[in-house]
Parts: sequence; C-alpha cells; structure tokens
Amino acid sequence: MIGVELRKLFRRPRTWATIAVLNALPVLVAVLLQLTDLAPRPGEGPPFLSAVLTNGALFPLAALAIVLPLFLPIAVAVVAGDAVAGEAQAGTLRYLLVRPAGRTRLLVAKLLAVVAFVLVTVLVVAAVGYVVGATLFEAQPTGGTSVSGTSLSQEELAGRSLLAIGYVTVSMLGVAAFGLFFSTLTDSPLAAALGALAVLVTSSLLFTLDAASPIAPYLPTRYWLAFVDLFRDPVLWRDVVRGLALQGVYVGVLLAAAWANFTTKDVTS
Amino acid sequence: MAARGHGAPARWAAVGLLVAVLVALPSLVAALPADDADVPAAELRAAVLASADVGFSGYAVSAGGLALPVSERLTDVADLFSDRTLVRVWWRGPAEHRVDVVTAAGETGVHRDPGGTWTWDFESRTATRGTAASLALPTPPDLLPAALGRRLLSEAADGEVTRTRTGARRVAGRDALGLRLVPAEPAASVGRVDVWVDPASGLPLQVEVFAEGADRPALDTRFLDLDLAVPPAEVVAFAPPPDATLLTAPDTDELIADAGERAPDVELPGGLAGLPRRTFGGVPDAVGVYGRGVTLLAAAPVPGRLAGGLREALTASPDAVTDELGTRVAAGPLGLMLVEPADGPAYVLTGTVTLDALADAARRLSGVVA
Repeated sequence: MIGVELRKLFRRPRTWATIAVLNALPVLVAVLLQLTDLAPRPGEGPPFLSAVLTNGALFPLAALAIVLPLFLPIAVAVVAGDAVAGEAQAGTLRYLLVRPAGRTRLLVAKLLAVVAFVLVTVLVVAAVGYVVGATLFEAQPTGGTSVSGTSLSQEELAGRSLLAIGYVTVSMLGVAAFGLFFSTLTDSPLAAALGALAVLVTSSLLFTLDAASPIAPYLPTRYWLAFVDLFRDPVLWRDVVRGLALQGVYVGVLLAAAWANFTTKDVTS
Repeated sequence: MAARGHGAPARWAAVGLLVAVLVALPSLVAALPADDADVPAAELRAAVLASADVGFSGYAVSAGGLALPVSERLTDVADLFSDRTLVRVWWRGPAEHRVDVVTAAGETGVHRDPGGTWTWDFESRTATRGTAASLALPTPPDLLPAALGRRLLSEAADGEVTRTRTGARRVAGRDALGLRLVPAEPAASVGRVDVWVDPASGLPLQVEVFAEGADRPALDTRFLDLDLAVPPAEVVAFAPPPDATLLTAPDTDELIADAGERAPDVELPGGLAGLPRRTFGGVPDAVGVYGRGVTLLAAAPVPGRLAGGLREALTASPDAVTDELGTRVAAGPLGLMLVEPADGPAYVLTGTVTLDALADAARRLSGVVA
C-alpha cells in the first residue's frame, strides 16, 4: 500500500513541478548574489547567505534556509492536504477503502508518502544548491568555518549538512500532520491545505510576539531554525533535540486525531 | 462501512486523554518542589565569593526590560539590557573562558585568554584581538548569572544581604538557594536583587534585579543548562580561521586617557548624591564613578556635539523630565541625565540611582562647575 501511494505521488507531474518551483527561488537568489556581490548585512537575511560569498560549499544550507520559512511548508501543506481529501474530491476514496487493508494503514501510508515527498524535496534543494554554489561561487576544498569560527574538515561539513537535511525534513512533519488531519475532516484539498497554512502563519506570528513567549516552546515553528545550531562548535544540541521531540508530539497527537476521525467517518465519496 | 459515530466517542476520548497528558506534563515538571537546604545566608554568600575559579559550561539567557534612550550610539549596550540574549559559556577561570552570544543566524564569541580577548563575529567574519580594559561598557559576559551575582554580592555591605534566606527554586535542573540583597543607600533605585545559588559549587544560577516597587524584574539572567565540569582548553582557545578578517580592537585604556586629556580641566567632587567617589587605575580625573555594588553613579563630561544628540534622544522619551538642571529620564532602575550648566561643559550622569538623586548630583555638579 505504501509503494502504491509513493508511485502515485511521484508519477504526478505536479509533484515535480512543485519541487522545480521550490528550487527556482534559491537559484535566483544565488544568481543575484553573484551578479551584485551584495551580501545581506549581519543580522539580516537568511542564515549562511552572507557566508556563501566566501565559501560556495555553504550554499546548500543557505538554499534550505531560504525555502524553510515559507516555500517548503506551503508545498508540504498542499501535498498533505491533498492526501485524503484529494481522493474524496476525485471520488476515489471509497474504492481505496474497499481494499481489505484498513483505514489506519491508509493513513500511515499517506503520511509516509508525504514524508518521502519532504525528504526528496529537501534533498533536491540541497543538491541543486550544491551544484549552484560550486559553479557560481568559490568553493573551498579544505572544508569550511563553523559558526563559532573553528575549522571544519570537508567530512565534518558534509556530515553536519546531512544532519541538517534530516532535521529540516523532520521539522516539516508537524505541517504534514496538520495537513493530513485537516484532510480527513473535509472533502476539499484546498481547505485542508489552507487550514495547515493558517496554523503555520499563526505559529510564525506568535513566535515574533514577546507577549506570546510563555507558549513559544510549543509552537510548531519554534525550533525550525535550530539546524543552524548543528554548525556551531561544539554542536548546540538543546534546541535540535527539543525540535525533534516537539515534531514527534505534533505528529503523534495529530495522527491520533486523524485516526479517531477517519476510522469512524462515514465515507460517501 | 462503519456507521458514523460507531466507536467514535471512545477513540476521541483516547486522543483527548493523550493531549491532556501532554499539555499537563510541562507544568507538572515545573511544579516539582525544590529542596531547600539549611545553609545560613552568610555562608552561602561566602561560597559565592569563592566561586570565581569553579569551572563550568552552560547555556544561559538574560532578559532585560530596559528601553535605554541611547539607541544610536550604543546599540550593543541597549540591546543587552532590552532584549533576550542567549549565551553559551565555557569557564575555566576568570582569565580563561569563552562566552558565545547565540543568535538565530550567527554568533559572536568572546574568547578570553591570559593575554587578552579574541572576539569572533560569524556574520561579518571578523576576528578582533583586544586587551582586557580596566573600564569598559557592559558586555554579555558581564551579564552571566555567575559573574553578575558574584560582582553584586562582593560589593554589598554586610547589612545589605538579608539574614534570612528566600527559599529555594529549581534553576537549570538544580536546587538553587535564594539570597536577597536590599541596597541601603537612599539614592538607590534598585529595590532588591535576588540571587539564586547552587549550594554545592557556590555558583549563582539566577540573578533578578528589581526596580524600587516593581514586581517584575528589570533584569533577569539565569542558566538554562549547566554542567559543573571544567571544560577542555581546546574548546575555550581560539585560532582565527584562514578566511577571517583580522582586526585589532582600539585600546580602551588609551582611548580613556585621550578623552581625559581632551576633557575640560575640572575637579569632580568627592561625593555625589550621598555616594562616595571610588577610584580606578587609568580612569581620568574628569570621569567620576561613585557608589558600590548595585548603586553606582558615573559622571563624565560630554563634548558639545555629542550633548546635542544626547539631548534629542533623551527628550524623545515620553517620561523625560526637563528643568533648569538639565534633562533626566529613568529606564527601570537605570537613570540617565544630561546636565547643561549655563557656563562650563555639559555632563552626563548615569547609574542605578533615583531621579531625585540625579537632580541632587546635578545641583552639586553645576555648583562645582560654576
């Protein structure tokens, strides 16, 4: 069933169109940066972007940082929101459920398909970022400099980049779970995606508000930027660990809610 | 197909229970009582004063609620007292430590070694070598709970630290015992300082500074994580990376001496607002520092062009008081005043004193200058 869902997702042209659009922004930023040579001022702009001018090997991280706040979660919300509601809208959901596999397995298969989409998207963004960074900017063969000013060997840099890719993927799970849950509530994929986006916007807005600081540790977007902490020396694990745990809690709760709703739902379309 | 609602209440109840447990968990953990130990206040204070050589590493946050009206010239200092600052620290001793200010997209690390300091700024990719100065603006290392608590307690008079302790609370997963400092000087604008100390090591884990009559701290600095093991030397040491821009920090002592030479030849009084003057090596006669501990007042002459900008910044504050003595404003417990006598140079007065004490000091200064 998981294989079926994966094939279905990655055979759709729009999946690849989404990934292509996601890559367009970092590439555009890289070209502009190369043409103007104007790095963002300290404290402004996405993380790692100012460091890219001296070391192109950091561009995959800058590319991730560029798509992380908005583009990537939008794509995830659209794909996750489509998961169940899309089938309902197309009138294929009841045929899916005729199979003896059961609704819980369908939900898990849908979530895994979304996770696979996130992973592929993040990997493609990082890979395209690597190629763009190596061709447009001077890449340093000796590795790079950590955020703390220590030297990182090429292996260390690659290892930490892989960790960052994994962390960004996990960070998107919360959005995916919201999209999937809303997708079981409604027959409209658009409504489900917009619901997940509303959660995202609310969370990002509250995070900037000082008055909301008591609830900040529970906001799904709170620890997204913690992947930067992987490039400090020594690595600052605190926020990374909390980010992983928080996403785990959101996925657990929302999947349970989706299960409670979907397995007892009267499917008519 | 299952009929709608069949088994639904039970399933939703299970989900509801899961959410309730998860929501309640953090507050339950936070509500765990801290163990109070029977340590007398004097003994605890002595342990704090002896803790400068205790090695540790940790992660601390300092939050200030002070909107300083000096936004343009001293943005770093203003941010330090008005924002949340997150710092990582590795402490091997007073002359060997590393303090990193962590921001979302970068960090600024200060590496102290016996010869001076290296300051690394990731976003501008600069490494700056400087020397330890006798008089400097506050920097993030000064706001570490361990450093700030020790400094405030070391200069407090015996009568200022209350004899009875203020209970215990959990800070950074440790049971911290409370010490309360109430400044005795009438000029003091700080109502009280609460220092929460780890009794085993003597390290202050949290310091809260309250303005007179306030129930929320004007400055709250505390550890979030603390590891009481001496960090390895290679973590504290710093070698500038090959692609960094190397800079040399301006020699603060020289700058101060220069300023002293250019400053008008005036004698500052031996006491202001009831606070005695104190002397530091290398500080010119035209700059006066008064008081001790949490009650400090500094007086320095300002050149005419700076005075104009400062006056504008001060009067822009809605709480500013302007009279014949000058313009004064308070940001929490911190007072700032520009004294502009009709004849003679302008003075800036700043410190943790009340506005009345500032006015008193201005009267005295104007009299001296005239």
